[in-house]
Amino acid sequence: MLLLKVENISKIYGTKRGAKQYEALKRISFEVHEGEFIGVMGASGSGKTTLLNILGSIDRPTNGRFMLDGADITALNKRQLAQHRIENIGFIFQDYNLLETMTLKENIILPLALHGCKVQVMEERLRKLGGDLGILSILDKYPYEVSGGEQQRAAACRALITNPKMILADEPTGNLDSRSGRALLELLTQINRTYGTTILMVTHDVFAASYCQKIMFIRDGEIYHELYAGDDKQKFFDSIIDVMSVLGGEKQ
Amino acid sequence: MKLTTLAVRNIKRNFSKYVMYFFTLSFSVFTVYSFRALIQNQYVNAAMTYDVRYRTMLAAFGVIIFVFVMFFLISSNASFIRARKKEISMYSLFGMSNGKIGKLLFTETMFVGLAALVVGIGAGVFFSKLIAMILLDITLAEFTGDIAFTITPQGVYLTAIPFLFIFCVMGLSGLRVISKFELVDLFKAEKVSEGKSKGSILVLILSLTLIGTGYYLAATSGSDVIIGAAIPILILVIVGTYLFFWGGLPKVLSWMKKRKTKYYRGQNLIAVSALAHRMRSIGSTMATIAVLSAVATTAVATGFNLYQNIERNTYGILGYDLYFYGGQEELLDDVFSAFESYDVELIGDYTTERLQVKPKNNILAFDGNVEYYNPEQDYFRVYSQSVCNELLALSRVNSKPIQIKEGEAAYVRSFWSNVPGMTEEIERAIMAEPLQFSNQEIRVTSFLDASFISFGAVHTIVLNDADFTELMAAGDIMGVDSSGEPFDQVTVFKYNNALKAGKFNRKVNQILSGNVGKYRSAYNHYTESLETFGLVCFIGFFMSVVFILMTASLLYFKQIMAAEEERHQYEMLRKIGMDSQVERRVITKRLLPVFFIPLVIGILHSIFAMKTADTIVFSNMIAAENSYLVVLAFSGIMYGIYAIVYGVFYFITKRQYTRIVG
Repeated sequence: MLLLKVENISKIYGTKRGAKQYEALKRISFEVHEGEFIGVMGASGSGKTTLLNILGSIDRPTNGRFMLDGADITALNKRQLAQHRIENIGFIFQDYNLLETMTLKENIILPLALHGCKVQVMEERLRKLGGDLGILSILDKYPYEVSGGEQQRAAACRALITNPKMILADEPTGNLDSRSGRALLELLTQINRTYGTTILMVTHDVFAASYCQKIMFIRDGEIYHELYAGDDKQKFFDSIIDVMSVLGGEKQ
Repeated sequence: MKLTTLAVRNIKRNFSKYVMYFFTLSFSVFTVYSFRALIQNQYVNAAMTYDVRYRTMLAAFGVIIFVFVMFFLISSNASFIRARKKEISMYSLFGMSNGKIGKLLFTETMFVGLAALVVGIGAGVFFSKLIAMILLDITLAEFTGDIAFTITPQGVYLTAIPFLFIFCVMGLSGLRVISKFELVDLFKAEKVSEGKSKGSILVLILSLTLIGTGYYLAATSGSDVIIGAAIPILILVIVGTYLFFWGGLPKVLSWMKKRKTKYYRGQNLIAVSALAHRMRSIGSTMATIAVLSAVATTAVATGFNLYQNIERNTYGILGYDLYFYGGQEELLDDVFSAFESYDVELIGDYTTERLQVKPKNNILAFDGNVEYYNPEQDYFRVYSQSVCNELLALSRVNSKPIQIKEGEAAYVRSFWSNVPGMTEEIERAIMAEPLQFSNQEIRVTSFLDASFISFGAVHTIVLNDADFTELMAAGDIMGVDSSGEPFDQVTVFKYNNALKAGKFNRKVNQILSGNVGKYRSAYNHYTESLETFGLVCFIGFFMSVVFILMTASLLYFKQIMAAEEERHQYEMLRKIGMDSQVERRVITKRLLPVFFIPLVIGILHSIFAMKTADTIVFSNMIAAENSYLVVLAFSGIMYGIYAIVYGVFYFITKRQYTRIVG
């Protein structure tokens, strides 16, 4: 089923008439189906984070529009956007973005609390998800008391607790060592499989990208190439490296 | 780049943070200079009757402000530097020596300090005339003169030198703070909690007990023990306040966290956890602010109460615009002609005998042993009902005419029988024992609040006219003393504008002084009180403003620092779907308790402090049934003004905070 339809999105920074205009995204169009695990790759400054911000409705596109589940998100006002973010989107960030003033539990239920959920509903969802993600034992700890991997698990749990239609992950493994990074990627895969949650992950880590089912490569604000994972993980990995080296090489 | 250029650039960049601090600093300089200038001001000196007392008060208060300014500056300077830890470590990383960094900060301090000195003293000079006029206006009954604009060089350097000294101390204390920094701090993310304090129920109970005990002592102690109890009460309440903010409030917050249906509402969750998180670092500040607010509001409320009640107090004590006894034959005509020549409209006057009566009772006592009447030495002043009503009618106190039945008497309450708490006991004793006279007994059945008609007597009674005539006939009432000399008569006057008639009053002073047994005029009493209490009020006002500025800028500064650290949290919250309406509510809930709780506790302290002040001073001053309520009403006005000014600072802080996190 079609979940996300992006039509001709562009993003231009700088004043419209000014000489210093910079086009971060150039008329990008693509589609995402429900249950897909998609990677977005590209060199620094290629526009991948801009794309993610627009899809997460943190930023507005200069031109073009996109639909989530048939609804035109670009037409929403500020208030509706905030509501939309709570209901439909889950974020996972590179630096976890947990509030240090709260326990992990409080951090996780925060989106629900902002939404005005009942306490029993929160507790119930938390118990179930926390069990699946293996963080039940550390729920009452503060972020600075647990490891980076555990913080990122909690952040993933926070992203999932609202049953979002789509999870947007911005370099989620960027701050983790390779072991925790792999654990997180396996967790994301597991989430994708068990809950059928659509995941869009921005990364420049080839290893992380190799967990995706499909990869979009972005260069200078345009979709440059797409790759689909086959049965052979090693082959997929190698072809990603090939594309990335072309991308990186041509950039010079 | 030279060090000074760097310093100037730093100040420019941190301007929004400096601005409140700078304002407070300038105002402190302004206050100290103004006081110095007032002490030197020849016009003010000439106008004040008790110029030595007034100068001492101003000077003493100047020193107090100074001490507070010093503590304020040193502590805010230290937190300033701590807030710039990263920047300073960066200088250090690029090879700047500690000495040089110290010099840089010292230069910055000096720049800001010198600017504050110039602005403060400049404003002081500019407003010196106005300040002197205000002071004279509130301390003098009839101030009409003009004051020339003056610059007081002595005031300038007596202000500048000590402040320069303080700035130097600040600069040096900054150096001490820097030397404690470790370079590695630069690379440590501020992930580690500031040390969340969970609070303890024991501390909460202890703090409430201490404060409660202080309140109880303040509210219930009689005037005889309250002065001795003042210091213990202060210690109890201050220690209790600090304990409350250190351990009690965190406990309350942790209780709030347990009430999940309330706590798990988005804004509450964010605001409560953020406050709980900061409790450790902000607890002491909040406690200090509560205590300072209490001091400031108490000072200004006391001053205001004294000031507002001078007129009432004057008449409560004197009763009349003017009275004198003795020498009527020679002087009365002079006084009447003075009324005419000074064009003062006389409303009425009355002359009567100061008669005495000695009941034949043995020693009268209450409580079994405290004797209040001994026929050997004591006497009762006695009036007939009609004379008493004449006297009451001419007084400035709203007393209704009295009606006394035959065989009964009204006892005039005087200061000795006004002991709070003891009154009923004394009155019961007085009513219990009928007064014995030659042919009859008379029983005191009522009491009259008009101590001013006793004219020198300890006990005064008012009799029914018929009883009075009978006692007179029986020879119980005496008009002459033991040597056969008649007692002095008393004359009371009531006239218009009594408290403004300065020239007339001087004439009366001239006529009566030394020529009569005793004379008192409301004008004399009023102007004396006005001078003293006006000054107390004036100083109290300045003190409150300085305190409010210091406390508010301390809070402002802490919140702005916190805002810088919390900015990323708000960014993140917006990403997960906090809309701007919720954000505003979160910010309000985050900041309001920090400002509101110390204010409420400060005012609560002050309310009980005013109870103490009432016991010591006001209950004797204000003739109302419940003087504390009157005091509270006047204090309430001051609390309101204080809260409004404080509220303005809250809104400034909130705006700046919103700007930073937005």
